[in-house]
Amino acid sequence: MTDQEILARWKEEPAPLLPVLHALHARDGYLSEDAIRAVSRGLGIPLADLYGTITFYHHFARVPGGLDCPRVCTGPVCVQEGARDILADLAAEDATGMPCSGRCDDPVPVIRSHLTLAGRSAADLVARPAPLPPPAPEGAAECVFRTIREPGHATLDGYRRDGGYEGLARAVREMTPAQVVEAIDRSGLAGRGGAGFPTGRKWRAVAEARGTPKSIVCNADEGEPGCFKDRALMDYDPHAVIEGMIVSGYATGAHRGFIYLRYEYPETEHILAEAIREAEEAGILGPSVMGGSFAFDLHIRRGAGAYICGEETSLLNSMEGKHPFPRNRPPFPVTHGFENLPTVVNNVETLASVPHILALGAEWYAGLGMNGHAGTKVISLSGDILRPGNYEVPMGFPLERLLYDRAGGPFEGRAIQAVTMAGLSGGFLAGDDLFVTLDEPAIRARKSFLGAGGIMVFDDSRDMVGVAHAAMEFFAHESCGKCFPCRIGTQRLTERLAGEAGPDALVAWVDEVADIGYTMKETSACGLGTAAPLITESLMRYFPEAVSRHVAAHGALPMAGRGSGGPHGTEP
Amino acid sequence: MSTNGTGPTIVLDGEKVTFTPGETVYEAATRHGKDIPTLCYDPRLEPFGGCRLCVVEVEGARAPVASCTAQCQAGMEVRTRSARVEVHRRTLMEMLVSENREVDVDELTSLASQEMTELVDRYEARTGRFRGRQSGASRPDDPNPFIMRDYDNCISCYRCVRVCAEQEGDYAISVKGRGFDTQITVEFDGHLKESACTFCGQCVQTCPTGALGDLKALAYRDVAGETKKTRTVCPYCGVGCAVDLLTRGNTLIGVQPAMDGPANKGALCVKGQFAFDFVQHPDRLARPLVRGEDGELHEAGWDEALDRAAEGFLRVRERYGRHAVYGVASGRAPHEAAYTMQKFIRGGFGTNHIDNCSRA
Repeated sequence: MTDQEILARWKEEPAPLLPVLHALHARDGYLSEDAIRAVSRGLGIPLADLYGTITFYHHFARVPGGLDCPRVCTGPVCVQEGARDILADLAAEDATGMPCSGRCDDPVPVIRSHLTLAGRSAADLVARPAPLPPPAPEGAAECVFRTIREPGHATLDGYRRDGGYEGLARAVREMTPAQVVEAIDRSGLAGRGGAGFPTGRKWRAVAEARGTPKSIVCNADEGEPGCFKDRALMDYDPHAVIEGMIVSGYATGAHRGFIYLRYEYPETEHILAEAIREAEEAGILGPSVMGGSFAFDLHIRRGAGAYICGEETSLLNSMEGKHPFPRNRPPFPVTHGFENLPTVVNNVETLASVPHILALGAEWYAGLGMNGHAGTKVISLSGDILRPGNYEVPMGFPLERLLYDRAGGPFEGRAIQAVTMAGLSGGFLAGDDLFVTLDEPAIRARKSFLGAGGIMVFDDSRDMVGVAHAAMEFFAHESCGKCFPCRIGTQRLTERLAGEAGPDALVAWVDEVADIGYTMKETSACGLGTAAPLITESLMRYFPEAVSRHVAAHGALPMAGRGSGGPHGTEP
Repeated sequence: MSTNGTGPTIVLDGEKVTFTPGETVYEAATRHGKDIPTLCYDPRLEPFGGCRLCVVEVEGARAPVASCTAQCQAGMEVRTRSARVEVHRRTLMEMLVSENREVDVDELTSLASQEMTELVDRYEARTGRFRGRQSGASRPDDPNPFIMRDYDNCISCYRCVRVCAEQEGDYAISVKGRGFDTQITVEFDGHLKESACTFCGQCVQTCPTGALGDLKALAYRDVAGETKKTRTVCPYCGVGCAVDLLTRGNTLIGVQPAMDGPANKGALCVKGQFAFDFVQHPDRLARPLVRGEDGELHEAGWDEALDRAAEGFLRVRERYGRHAVYGVASGRAPHEAAYTMQKFIRGGFGTNHIDNCSRA
């Protein structure tokens, strides 16, 4: 297709910039200067502005052939599973590292063009589907994983066979929008992307907000290292996500939906596109949902590699073709979201829970939790653990039981030294705090948070300062650059954990790190900057001896990964 | 001050004050005489919330809030200078010192160029803490004669980018990359001359660190003497932009826009901002020239020159009438000269055939 044909294809669609850039990127294998100039003219975006925005994203190649150069995941788990060796072995193909690409249960992912390969060495790389969630024990309380393991469940026929779209049918035929909101409210469902905002309240706010068209945005930009639950849900239960979005649209009066999918899930895009096509053909999506008067259209918008775009206001700016800095809040997306109009932004897991709640009832869902907590949470478990994978557990489930009973515990002869929380941004839990229950109040009491539910396990062979350094390097790499405390703070903490800069004396070192962390936590503009110092805070809390050894050695850090050759200090 | 007790109020450092609905905490506090530090704020631009120096404590809020983006809510209790926010401000200033090549820049660099230095001193932030890699890469390769791009001193407040977009509407510069590696750039990392830049100098004058500098003014940095500012109106066109002329002794060393200029509010164009060389250019006529019998111009005395001119004008009026004369005053002439010129044409000749090249 020519530039003009590509522009004509998308120009009248909502949120056209990312699809136009992806089409040109795929056509040419990179984004050429000519192509960028054509987009600037065609979409009326100032050239310098467009150029700056493109450079914000990690995955848009700017040199010929760049799209085909392998990108090797150098996330916290993958660097321990041979990522550095793979990167070195693929050096001849100009391989580059990329932040965690959400395959920690089947490392190491390598994205080549539009294909994800996986393997523990360069010679073993094969394209294979990402793993299904491991089987659950008999009688386990599950919601989103209740039917996901049934064969053929990702197809429309399979989904319907397993009871899919019955909730939507009930909603549009038997319930008013207000009754749907009321049911979601009663279920106690809260945001499963990490913020935990009550879903019913969010929907009600959008339903009551003035301004049309309203939008439903599914946040599928699962960029948090150690999180891969949304990938599993979309790959194996795409119709549940679609159904949840249509229900959300019905409940709030929104007639358009967008799935903002992270770049690193190319296969998932095809799965979702096929599911949308099936749903459109079956009259589930489109001008007459389930034969009724409600209309709903669904679009996929693919990101291009930016962790911050998982922050909902950055995501909205990204969709609108703007520089993806987070917005100042208030106003919130419920009133000023996509194109400044009322918008629901919900995580994949949240939306995928909705059909089950409508089918089985709010009380059923609320009753799944333990100790008074409502519902379930999918935990992406990875690292030094016998059976990594996605586990759906009741809210309030003991971490110890997840680690040992469900996932088999550490490797033979090893002990669990620490785990991360919220993927990476909750920092570490260790020692007695490993006996926590998996719910926000319990984890927050230990100065961390559950967040999106990623847990990476580090056994007693790991150098925790090295792990912390790699974590902080990720946050520095992903800091958007809008606010001073995060932009400078993540960099300074990374340098100190690498032993590249900072005082030689332990007291001064700890002071600097603590002062930077305190100001980041209290003054950063969004969650990235407020959460990143939990890494250093928890490192100093649980591993003071390792910190003092590190400061004494200053720069002579041991390697982070067991048997993973190469220093850990290079760019992700 | 509008503390008349009629409108909604907030409690500002213990004192009840009124606010206008929609007013930000920063605006209300500033209006009531509070000196809240900030580096990303320019009153002409949309609040950005980047530097976080303006954080204040709000009763009931878990963490300090950025006063530039937070709107006043009735009953809000705000502390603008608590120990807690002052600690954060000091840490932030120490962090800024650590990322730049230098803190002290020549005052001729730009209008706002001392903002960071002043805050560094206010918070005694020259402690040498938080050392590490420096951010920003200067562009000494950019050959333009007006704007110094010394990004080694950039703190990524993006006032330049925002003023270019929001005030000037040029969108010539933007932010490349992200995090600590952000860099102010034009498309494809080129030079300003090949971009949409009009060299209006807005970016320079709002830069709080001297990362962008006025090369024309800096060329006079070695001229001795106190810098004197004289408020005047730019003569180049009919808009009437207020400017401050910077002089040292008898030398014009630079032009700065007046932020309180009613017509321009700190805006200027390339001519008003940078085109003042002619004032002290060696080619400028300092004595009258009169054409001799040989057809060449020769230096002459004022009496001789004025006599010759008067003779010529009178001859034309005599022969062709008073409307045969048309006066065009130069935009580079002082206002007093322009005024005199139109008096001369209107009063002297009795014609309205008078114009000025600045009329555009």
